Amino acid sequence: MTAGKRILGAAIGALLIGSVSAQADTIKVGIIGPFSGPFALQGKNFQAGVEAYMALNGKTAKGHTIEVIYRDLPAANPAQSRALAQELVVKEKVQYLGGVYFTPDAMAITPLLAQANTPLVIFNAATSAIMNTSPLVVRTSFTTAQTTTPLGKVAIDEGVKKAITIVSDYGPGVDAENAFKKAFEAAGGQVVEAIRMPMNTTDFSPIMQRVRDSGAGGLFAFLPSGPPTLGFTKAYNETGLKKAGIKFYAPGDLTQESDLPALGEAAEGLKTSFHYAVSHDSPENKKFVEAATKAIGGADQLSFPSVGAYDGMHVIYKMIEATDGKQDAQKAVDAVKGLSWTSPRGPVRIEPDTRHITQNIYLREVAKGSDGKLINKEVQTFPNQKDPGLATQ
Amino acid sequence: MQTLVQTGAVTKVHSVRRPWLRDVIGILAIVIAGAVGYWLFPDNLALLTRIIAVALLVLSIDLIVGYCGVATLGQAALFGAGAYAAGIACVNGVTEPMTLIAIGGTAGAVAGLLMGTIMLRAHGLAQLVLSIAIVQLFHEAANKASSITGGSDGLAGLMISPLFGIFEFDLWGKTAYLMGLALLLLVFIALKFVVSSPFGMLCRGIKQDPLRIRAMGAFVFPVLLKMFVISGAVAGMGGALAAISTQVVGLDSVSFELSANALVMLVLGGLGTLYGALIGTVIFMGFEHVVSSINPFHWMTMVGALLIAVVLAAPGGLSSLVEKVRGEKA
Repeated sequence: MTAGKRILGAAIGALLIGSVSAQADTIKVGIIGPFSGPFALQGKNFQAGVEAYMALNGKTAKGHTIEVIYRDLPAANPAQSRALAQELVVKEKVQYLGGVYFTPDAMAITPLLAQANTPLVIFNAATSAIMNTSPLVVRTSFTTAQTTTPLGKVAIDEGVKKAITIVSDYGPGVDAENAFKKAFEAAGGQVVEAIRMPMNTTDFSPIMQRVRDSGAGGLFAFLPSGPPTLGFTKAYNETGLKKAGIKFYAPGDLTQESDLPALGEAAEGLKTSFHYAVSHDSPENKKFVEAATKAIGGADQLSFPSVGAYDGMHVIYKMIEATDGKQDAQKAVDAVKGLSWTSPRGPVRIEPDTRHITQNIYLREVAKGSDGKLINKEVQTFPNQKDPGLATQ
Repeated sequence: MQTLVQTGAVTKVHSVRRPWLRDVIGILAIVIAGAVGYWLFPDNLALLTRIIAVALLVLSIDLIVGYCGVATLGQAALFGAGAYAAGIACVNGVTEPMTLIAIGGTAGAVAGLLMGTIMLRAHGLAQLVLSIAIVQLFHEAANKASSITGGSDGLAGLMISPLFGIFEFDLWGKTAYLMGLALLLLVFIALKFVVSSPFGMLCRGIKQDPLRIRAMGAFVFPVLLKMFVISGAVAGMGGALAAISTQVVGLDSVSFELSANALVMLVLGGLGTLYGALIGTVIFMGFEHVVSSINPFHWMTMVGALLIAVVLAAPGGLSSLVEKVRGEKA
């Protein structure tokens, strides 16, 4: 009994200490991401981006010390997402929220922002519609429509008149299919067939047969990154589509750097479009990659979520400077509208009307780098791409 | 005709002195625990509300697994049916929270009827497999019908009107928590009556020996189906509560993972007492929350260790420990 009481006392004591330990001049930033489970690597990239920014730019903004609090959300779970955000705001007294990997999780947080007087800076969640749900959201990642659209013209330029689309049957897949179809048909092409595969498809050879039968000159694919991609690219090679000259197009989720070692030779020559390649050649990126590699522990693990987090921290630092440490969400968001800077990915800007990031989209080809490892080699640049998903609304 | 059989079973199985006293104490304990949670953790009400919603789901599993002996790994289908029904109704203009709970409960009951009709055709492992198949089908249906359900992006934009026109569902989550607590209490009391009624006794009898019950002249299928419908209503209300408090419905609410997690919580707490369902949910989710905020990167190991420890030390679940202590005292 006494032991029980002691434990209870300790627990209550810990709670009290937790609520008063906040220093006057420490500004807390709450980061929600998948730090464990199957998407842990993406969460680790969030962390690497945040730590790289703080290592390069110091832990203070205009004299205010910044403290980052991480909360784990292993898979898309809006109820848990809301509970975590609420706790961060109410209990931990964070002034800024950041991170968020999955769209439904972001959707669960946005209704809270006005009452919490807290801006949310999204490091990843890539559905256009999130931006319409609250005026206090800023996004530093990309949208599927944004990264996919340039591929339509690329395909036409490479002589593909008829294409077939193959996507996993879920939100981002359908977004990618629509974006490609729109861009490709606007450039004068024709989508002859649109295939939607169940999420857990593992045998892709029947699909490759359909590609061959359709008579298309190129295929556009979107699958969630990771194991399915490996099987898909392998099937593309082994069924002889590559040899038959049927071109392969996809957004860069499919060839994210951390998957390349597993994809191996099969991936060589694949063309994808994306906002960031770890191999991007610029002094800013060199500095970033060095710092982020140190934070994450290995160069092979670094991929696109890290740069979203890095730029997200930049936005949060600017917000803190603008409000001088006072909690004023609207003022903070207004201060970064139209903000432009040189990110590791290239020149970027926060659009004042959509609060989404405008950036270069690169066409890349998987190739061997100077050290023999596979990289996404940038071959063409489409400058200053806005999010077409938002622009049309 | 059936009552005769049932009363016979009641006197034999349950020769408890003043069983109502125990339940009054139990219900008071829930009220006190709820109030303590409210005063002690005013900053974690969203978490506590989530625990209540999941507790309703775990209770609903207890009805089927603990009282009827029907194994299921697909209960989230019923939870999700309630969540999506309430969510879709809300997006289409029905914003009164109590009505939404009722809609969720009804949808859950209908889904329970459907699921029971299919699952009760099989037995044992085949039944378990069917339950997994059903939850996967529900999941795929919700994913496919993205124009109605939002698909994998989730159904967002739920604007709930204030409870009784006064209490808003806000950032601090007081309204959602207190409404959830009241709902949980009402459901719990109702279920206590259900499981101690002749109908509940018959279910227990079926769990122990369906063949004998049949030989006594009772019909097994309609009794179990009835329990499925009740269980569906409970799970559906839990789903609706989750939808109201979160204002988003995601595909996770009809997932196999949620079903399996909820079953783990039930086993952790103990089967067939209703209390076990609540204890298991609170301990599991509370522990998960604490360790995941202490170490967001490696907390799953701790949860695994807890589960192994409990299963080895108290195979009957945590609530069986309480019974053990009581037994030793007496």
